[in-house]
Parts: sequence; structure tokens; C-alpha cells
Amino acid sequence: MRTDASTRSLAMRLPSLDKAAVWIVLFALVLLAGLASDAFLKLNYLTNLVRQAAPVGIVAVGVTFVMLLRGVDLSVGAIVSMSAVVCAIVMNGLADNLWLGAAAAIACGAAIGLANGLLIAYGKVSSFILTLAMSIVVYGLVQMGTGGTARGIVSPGFREVLNGRLGGALPVLVICLLLAVALGIFLQSRTHFGRSVYLIGANPEAARIAGLNVKRVTVVAYVVSGLFAGLGGLALLARTGVSGTNPGAGMEFDVLAAVVLGGTTFAGGRGGVGGTFAGIMVLVIALNLANVSGLPFAAQLTIKGIIIIVASAAHSWIGSRGGARSQH
Amino acid sequence: MRQATTGAFASRDIPRIYWALGGLILIGMLSAPQFRTLSNLANIVEQSATLAVLALGQAFVIAGGMIDLSVGQLVGLITVVACMMFEAYPGMDAAVILGCLALAALVGLVNGELLNRLKMSPLILTFGMLSVLQGVIFMLTDRSVGQVAPSIAFLSNGRLLGVPVSVILVVAVAAAAYYALQRSIFGWHLLAMGNSAESARKAGLNLFSLTRVAFLVSGLCAGIAGLLVAGRLGTGFPNAGNGLELDAIVAVVLGGAPLKGGRVSVAGIIGAVLFLGVLNNLLNLLQVPAFTQIVVKGLIVIIAILADRPGKAAQAA
Repeated sequence: MRTDASTRSLAMRLPSLDKAAVWIVLFALVLLAGLASDAFLKLNYLTNLVRQAAPVGIVAVGVTFVMLLRGVDLSVGAIVSMSAVVCAIVMNGLADNLWLGAAAAIACGAAIGLANGLLIAYGKVSSFILTLAMSIVVYGLVQMGTGGTARGIVSPGFREVLNGRLGGALPVLVICLLLAVALGIFLQSRTHFGRSVYLIGANPEAARIAGLNVKRVTVVAYVVSGLFAGLGGLALLARTGVSGTNPGAGMEFDVLAAVVLGGTTFAGGRGGVGGTFAGIMVLVIALNLANVSGLPFAAQLTIKGIIIIVASAAHSWIGSRGGARSQH
Repeated sequence: MRQATTGAFASRDIPRIYWALGGLILIGMLSAPQFRTLSNLANIVEQSATLAVLALGQAFVIAGGMIDLSVGQLVGLITVVACMMFEAYPGMDAAVILGCLALAALVGLVNGELLNRLKMSPLILTFGMLSVLQGVIFMLTDRSVGQVAPSIAFLSNGRLLGVPVSVILVVAVAAAAYYALQRSIFGWHLLAMGNSAESARKAGLNLFSLTRVAFLVSGLCAGIAGLLVAGRLGTGFPNAGNGLELDAIVAVVLGGAPLKGGRVSVAGIIGAVLFLGVLNNLLNLLQVPAFTQIVVKGLIVIIAILADRPGKAAQAA
């Protein structure tokens, strides 16, 4: 929005403020939480918070790539459900099927992502509507597969390992989340794919003229998103132990909120996985604060909404000091 | 002169969704004998009224390049509030109806005003508002409450000279929306904002006021839809609006409006709402199992947007 010379020069002098915005919000929130409760800053409490964030966080890493490309992926909640259900059904309570179940779940996620990517890249349709419709299809398939009741049993050892704590302190799911974030950061900054995503997101037409294969990068981005959603489904299954029929319901919106809070806007080309991680933490801490305050569920919902709005507004306010575009 | 310019935005030929609607009706005529009965067709149109009004409101927001995810929960809130008020103040129908519409418009106005002041993504803002409204609903009640006044029941279920009253209401709202979006200076400006907010601002348009009005209309339409839902259900069901916002967005996009804004067709939206209504009805008549229905609906939406994607003509506009 602001492209006049003064803001532009300010943006050049303070290039990091835009990226730092979500971290400032996160820091303020942690400070607030620390003041509200002594327990909050204890290591156990903090690692537990991050552990809770693992499924949503892993999914959000993948969606970040799609959003960097100016797209969106609303099918991830349904993919999480599918992944958890498929995994539990394939495992069928047998230790021998552990890897097979995990592989099947991840393959399902990648396959749905591939379908999304191909339809969006070659069909040239709105990613919002396409992935929304895809989420309906996948949700229906999952319901057909389960017949409307929880099916499948996880393999022995699956939950025990993933829910354990390394050295009795660091939860394995936290390590999984950090690995997913590290993998995302590696993909975005160290690979040809990652650099292409930024270039295409910033200006698709210029990227195409410069010889980038926009279609292929788009397909890969949606496959990455589906893949991470599949992994997120495994993490969720590990936490709950029961597949249910629709465990990922509505997760796409939490993911979306986290990614946008993290500075990856719908305009594309800006932001990244690091910001998304901070965005997830902002959401989780905000929800935890609402929870700890002992308010009834209804009031928590309202507060969750207000926190999303205030955090996002604060983020865009801080970001605009650094010359960020408003996301219209 | 003005008409010629608005014509560049508003597609003059028949929206493509009508081909899909025609095909679907043909399939219905051939495959299900009950489909072609007058009472069934009237039923489809009546059932589509809520979504039609909601989608027409959403069209204002989408035309301007924005989105409103809060309308589903706003429908739920109005349904609950209306039924509670009708029970508490019997005989004061007009006041309750006006109060509900004012409340809905106010929520829309708050959305628009916050968007203007906070300069944030409309998707995130209205997503936050969705959660806020859901909380407010559950603070009011966690079960169905109250009852509807006869006037609202008549609005949703009554007939006037054999025509469903809700259909008359939809036609009136659609006519108003058509005039506002496709035939007025306001609509021209709103679509210009949707095409390029930056150019519209440079051309001297007041984006703040356009945003405010678009969300106000979206809220008001959610209020009308909420009253229609209350009339159909006969009671204030707190989850009545869950997911309706997505149905409304699907209807607007199937009707030929891209989500990035700048183009909209009221006729297309009505066609899309009827298409979804006929599809629902047909799947039920053909006794397709519920879970299979979900898959089929999703696939058909995918096929429809693939078939309806902007072609050469639209790209030129």
C-alpha cells in the first residue's frame, strides 16, 4: 500500500521489523502470561504447551509454502482426519504394521496434496474454493471409510514413543515439531524450490518470464502441504490415541490464523516458516491463557477471537512501521 | 455512458452455472419421478431462501475483494436472539424484527470499522469475529431456546397467492443487490476497489466508506437469513449457522465471481444457490447414502468450478 519514497527508505533501513513483528507479539504474550501465573515460565509447563501445538504446528509449516505462493490450503484439516483414520485402520493394533500405517497416512496426505496442486496449477481455479471442496470430498471419504464411528487401533509402541519425554524432560512431539520447522526452514532457504516459491509469490508473471516452472513449483508446494498435513495427522493420533471420525475438523482455520499471524500474508512472497512457528505459539499461549483464567468455554471462545484480532492487528501495526503492505 | 462502463464489469450473457443447473434439472426429470412435482420444486426454492440471502450479502464483500467468515455465526446469533425476544415480548413482533436486523447490521458495521482502523486481513478479522460470536451465542444459551412469532413463521413457511413468501423476499433482496452492485455508482466503485484497491484509492474513491457499507450489507443480510432460519426451525438453535459462511462463499464463486474481487453476478449467485439446492434435493430423492452425498457434493463443486473458470471473455474484462 505505502509505496511513497519516505516509507520505502524506512523499510530499507528497518528490513527486519516486518519479520520481527510476530516475535514481538509472542514476547509480549509470554511476558503477560508470566505475570499472570508463576507456573507459566516453568520448563515443564512450556514444553507441554509446545507439545500441544505440535499437530497444528506441523501442518502450518506445510501450509506456509502454499501461502507464500499466494495460495491457500483449506483441505489440511480433512487431510489430518484422513491421515489419523487411515493410520489407525492400517495399524490395526499390530506392532508389525507400525511403519506401514505411518507410510500409508503420509502417502494419503501427499496424494490429496498432489490432486490439489495439479487442479490448481493446470485448472487455474481459485485455491480457496478448490481446497474447500477438496476438504468436503476428503471428509466424506473418511466418513464412508469409518462408517461414522471410530475405527482402527494404533500399534503398541506408537503412542508410548511419541508421547514420551527425551531424558525425562523434552517431549518427543516437541522434537518432531522442531524437526518439521527445521525441515521447512531448510526447504525455504536452502533449496531451489524454496527460492522459486518466494519469487513466484512475489511476482508470478515475472517469475514465469524469467523461466521458472511456475506450474511444477505450485504442484510441489501443495504436495508439501499435504505431506505435512499427513504428518500432523500422525502427531494428533499419537496425542489422542483414538482416530475418531473427524479429529482434524476446523484445524485449517487455526493453521491459517497462525500462518497469517506469522507474517505470511495472502499477498504471497513474504514471511516464512520461522514466523509461522511464532504464530502457532502466539495462538497456543493465547488459548492457554483463556483456559487458565478459568472462564467458561463460551467466554474462552470469545476471548480466543479477540486475541486473534488483537494479535493480528498488533502485528500488522508493527509491520507497517517496517513498510509492510497491508493485506487487502 | 455509465451503463456501458458497468457493463464491462457485469457479464451480460447468461452465467454459465445455468447450464449446469439445466443439466441437473434434466437429470432429475429423467431419474426421479417425485422430482418434477410442483410441491417438490417449490420446496427446493423455499429451502434455498436462507442461502440465497446470505450469499447475496457476501457478494458485496467479495465484489470489493474482501471476505466475511463471520456471517454463519451471525445467523446463529440472530436466530437465538430473535427467538428469545419473541418469547419475552409477545406481540411486539415489529420491534423485535427491527432490533434483530439492527443488531446484525451493527455487527457488520463493527467488522468494517475494525478492518478500516486495524488495517488487517479481512479473512483473519472475520475469522476472529466468528469465534467471538460463537462465544456470545453459547454465553446466551447452550440449547435451543424460545419460540418464533407467527409473523416470522409466515415469512419462512407461508404462501401469498400460492407463492412462498420467502421466495418473494429473495426476489426483493436480489433485485436490490442487482441494482446496488451492477447498476449503481456505488457498485461501480466497489468493483473498482475489488479490481485494484490501490488504483481505486488513487482515483479518489473512499475505500473506508466502501468497506463499511459492504460489511454492513453483509451483516444485514445475515440478519434476514437468521430470521428466516428461526422461522423454519421454530426455535433458537445455537448451532443453526455453523458452516453457512462457507456455503455462501461457494455460491458466490460458483456464480462466477472470483474471490479476488472486481467481478460479480447476482443472476449467477441465484443460479448457483438453485444448483446447490437441486443437487441436495436430487441426492436425497435418489436415496444416496449420507456420506456418499458429501463426497458427490464436493466432487461436483470441483467439477463446476473447473468448468466455470474464467475463460477468454472474462479475462478481457
